[in-house]
Amino acid sequence: MAPSRGLLRLLTRPVSSNPNPGSRSMSLLRRAYTSFAEQLANPANRVQSYISHSRDPFVNLSIEDYILRTSPLDSTVLFLYTNRPCVVIGRNQNPWLEVNLGILQAANRQGKTANDTEPPGIGDVDLVRRRSGGGTVFHDEGNLNWSITCPRTEFTRDKHAEMVVRALRKVGVERARVNERHDIVLDQGHRRHPSDPQDTHQTAYTAEEGGPRPLKVSGSAYKLTRARALHHATTLLASPNLHTIPQYLHSPARNSIQAKGVESVSSPVGNIGLDVDKFQQRLQEEFTAMYAHQGKVPSVQMVGEEHLNIPAIRKGYEELKTDDWMWSQTPQFTLLLEDLFGTTIEINVHHGTIQTLETKCDRDLGDMLEELRTALVGEKLQDIGDWVQFLQSRIEPWHSDYEIVADRLEKFLPVPQFGRP
Amino acid sequence: MAARFSVARAARQLTSSATRRQSPFVCQFQRQQVQQRLFTVSAAVREKKYTEDHEWIEAAADGKTFTLGISEYAAHNLGDVVYIELPQVDLEISAGEAIGAVESVKSASDILTPIGGTITEVNSALEEKPGNLNKDPEGESWIAKIAISGEPEGKLMSKEEYTAFTEDA
Repeated sequence: MAPSRGLLRLLTRPVSSNPNPGSRSMSLLRRAYTSFAEQLANPANRVQSYISHSRDPFVNLSIEDYILRTSPLDSTVLFLYTNRPCVVIGRNQNPWLEVNLGILQAANRQGKTANDTEPPGIGDVDLVRRRSGGGTVFHDEGNLNWSITCPRTEFTRDKHAEMVVRALRKVGVERARVNERHDIVLDQGHRRHPSDPQDTHQTAYTAEEGGPRPLKVSGSAYKLTRARALHHATTLLASPNLHTIPQYLHSPARNSIQAKGVESVSSPVGNIGLDVDKFQQRLQEEFTAMYAHQGKVPSVQMVGEEHLNIPAIRKGYEELKTDDWMWSQTPQFTLLLEDLFGTTIEINVHHGTIQTLETKCDRDLGDMLEELRTALVGEKLQDIGDWVQFLQSRIEPWHSDYEIVADRLEKFLPVPQFGRP
Repeated sequence: MAARFSVARAARQLTSSATRRQSPFVCQFQRQQVQQRLFTVSAAVREKKYTEDHEWIEAAADGKTFTLGISEYAAHNLGDVVYIELPQVDLEISAGEAIGAVESVKSASDILTPIGGTITEVNSALEEKPGNLNKDPEGESWIAKIAISGEPEGKLMSKEEYTAFTEDA
């Protein structure tokens, strides 16, 4: 990373733990990242609170994973961060099924994919596969990501969603509650009815079945290890992109892929309408109140790109960025190319590699099927790049029927070349 | 002990390169050597054992292949399993590594192995019906079979010890 950027952020962002941020120097920073590792692992620190000044989802997820793996086994740790625009899929999800991959890169969009909608105009959007379970979410700078790492024995799936609901209610968001999917929603009932203000699973506006649907404002995903549990979520406070999010999460291949793994459950979403900075402070207070009995909560510590100097964080960061993690980690799936030359071509992909290529009803496609098999079976999707170019380089003689297949594959199975020349 | 592992590993590497050379005589000769050196665990770990990560392992009669799965306690604790990622057959693994993963109710957890060796078989039926892991985790829903290359690592517990361990937790 560029150290100057990290420093600049520190200088311009007020930090509660640092009354005089102007006095920071590079040497202090360098000490900061070793001291982060020490402070995190110190068994005396049973309650800890961190906030990231990085907007890089890969950095933030790697710091989060490091917290999960190295914090003391009986400690509880809060970590807050905000990412630049990105689409984050769950560990066991299929990016071709969950994401409109063709529009992620603003520069590549023109002419590359059949995009019949208005260009969303957010610029480049990162694609990330996280280590926790659950479904696909869109992040931007109007979202606050919160994560809590706690002992596995004290973990429940609702506990910290309830904490966030308490924090929301204290700033006047009285429609917030935890639903049966462990998400946070805002009830949309028209009439107020009596309810217990302490009940985080019901509000005065909870509608009966058939009433107005609540709006989801925060999801939940978890990563469990032997002794520890991580719960994280992205809370929609003031996203300027609500209207374009559906375009990113609507894949052109959604009706053509049969996948194992986890499929997202789509829900209507809404903004809570709170300022990110203010709410993160409120959340830190709520966390402190909840765990004050467990030990002294040290002041909130700032983390960020400079911590990539910690080898374990660097390793996790690089792993998240590999093609193998992003593409080949995808659970087994079958792509159906329907209505092609009067038949359906079925392509089975496992471990990111094309395993088989068949026609559905044994229709004779002549040499074509065999040519496609020879060109594609055994290939890793992540190595294909541009489908037309790839097939053209493998199939001789080339004719327009192959072009039709290649175009269809480019539409359904594109692999955006993030950060590659 | 470490020396024995590396011998076994070196021998395995030899076989695979020998196979690639496609000389039947060399190949057979090497195979035989490997056969003799295949690791057999001590009698003490042949009965079903449990790890602190809630996996179980059980040796086949020959003491060379182990079946690995997750415990009833773990399966119950995870909630409804919706996806299971199995390792690839022939994958070489070391003790303590993650060899797969389970997803249940938005939670990802790793499947760890207390033994090193080579994956010889996986329970592919679980890929079709991951929910079966909740039904019979210590029987039909085993996860993988492993030809071992050394004694198990980490703490291993008998059924009774493991039950006490989960009650303490």
